[in-house]
Amino acid sequence: MTDPGATMLELARLNTFRGPAQILRDVSLRVGAGEAVCLVGRNGAGKTTTIDSIMGLLPVRSGRIAFRQRDITRLPTHRRALLGIGYAPEDCGIFPDLSVEENFQITAWLARPGAAAAGAGDARVFSVFPEVKGFMTRRGLHLSGGQKKMVAITRAMTLAPSILLLDEPFEGLAPVVVTRFIEAVRAIKAMGISLLIAESNLVNATRVADRLYAIDRGEIIFQGNPHDVFRNEDVMKTIRG
Amino acid sequence: MDVLLIHIINSLLYASVLFLIAGGLSLIYGVMRIVNMAHGNLYAFGAYVTAWAVGTMAAGAPVPVLLMLLPVGALAAAILGAILEPTLLRPFYRRAEEYQLLVTFGLLMILEDLMRFIWGPYPLSASEIFENFGSLTIGDVIYPTYNLLVIGVGAAAASFLWAFIYRTRFGVVLRATSQNMRMAAALGVNVNRVYVQAFTLGCFMAGLGGAIIVPSQSAVLGMGIDAVVLAFIVVVIGGLGSLEGALVGAVIVGFVREAGIAWFPEIELAVLYLAAATVLLARPAGLFGRP
Repeated sequence: MTDPGATMLELARLNTFRGPAQILRDVSLRVGAGEAVCLVGRNGAGKTTTIDSIMGLLPVRSGRIAFRQRDITRLPTHRRALLGIGYAPEDCGIFPDLSVEENFQITAWLARPGAAAAGAGDARVFSVFPEVKGFMTRRGLHLSGGQKKMVAITRAMTLAPSILLLDEPFEGLAPVVVTRFIEAVRAIKAMGISLLIAESNLVNATRVADRLYAIDRGEIIFQGNPHDVFRNEDVMKTIRG
Repeated sequence: MDVLLIHIINSLLYASVLFLIAGGLSLIYGVMRIVNMAHGNLYAFGAYVTAWAVGTMAAGAPVPVLLMLLPVGALAAAILGAILEPTLLRPFYRRAEEYQLLVTFGLLMILEDLMRFIWGPYPLSASEIFENFGSLTIGDVIYPTYNLLVIGVGAAAASFLWAFIYRTRFGVVLRATSQNMRMAAALGVNVNRVYVQAFTLGCFMAGLGGAIIVPSQSAVLGMGIDAVVLAFIVVVIGGLGSLEGALVGAVIVGFVREAGIAWFPEIELAVLYLAAATVLLARPAGLFGRP
């Protein structure tokens, strides 16, 4: 498989700290337009830190983040979101006291005239998980784990994103539900939206990814096609422990 | 019977002003997790500005004009809040709570001296409005009409605030920011802007409390510190960060204080602290707070 031509997101030699501890060491990666990229690694390898850095939730010590060739390294988080970077965190980040519908409305209300945000009115938003229409009035607090994951991804879609950052989207789901979520991710990709997915399960990653990066102790140790990763013994050993 | 009615009205009067102060304090804590010790002096600042406008600047003007000047204290407190939050408080959100307490306590002192500097050490009065409202007879007791207006403003402010937070778009963004600031930012919410708006609204409420109470009392130095102590009792009872809690807490404190003044004036404040201590023992997060 060849890389799509245009670059959607590019990280160049990123170094990020949490407190005094250096987590990311010269991380470079690239997500092409319409491409689904998985970042695989064990817990604590630096996957979430990579995504938090892209979102601006953690300050970057050095390096560069470019979104559609535009330098966003120092941009505040909300500006990155409004540019079209959707984000669904590992803990889903559902607002507990807001109804599901209110969770979706936030982005639409913030959209400036002429901005891209689709809002909850766009049919594409609900085409990924039509199930969420069944519990729109429920409060975030009362959702099951799987429902929270669906709401988090749907909510990110309300930004009409060019890229979605999904942190462990399949974690904690029953195997049959994982298959449902993999279909959903493929549906998002079919809309032409790029994806960067942090995933600790290599098998799940190979089911959705065009390309993979493996990260360990904050360093990218492999990049390539899904079938190449199984032939690379070092990577297999590191990721599977 | 009439005396009982007067006690009830007095309790509600006190609860109205307390809600305006404690509601703002709780709103600010709920959104930016900062305990603003200086909040009481924003209430005092509102009282001083209104007393100055009504009693000094426009003294002798017709009563409708004076009434229209009443809200200037609230506006002045809101403007002061909009200046203070980004400059003095914002740098401390990421620091430990001790720093926030020190900074806001220092601000309390600075505002106190600022008011002394501007308006001098003597009380400032706006009693012209109070006197012009006259009085009405409840049974065979004479009661000032103006106090009923204060209760009305308190009730209107509570309903307006509830509608604002639970029924408007801005309210949803405000609640989202208070529940998960990082996620709100990741959805495009400009958190800094929400912070300054919430702080300004909280200060507006405190200033409104000062502005409506000043015609019946006077603006005096130290009123802000007294008020913030009572506001803390209210939020301890109701739960810090909860508006329903501030409302219920203000009503409880209003009634307990009135009962204390009527029947055991020697230990009036002690009764309030006892009520707060009882709630803390039974429900440490307050009646409406989340543990």
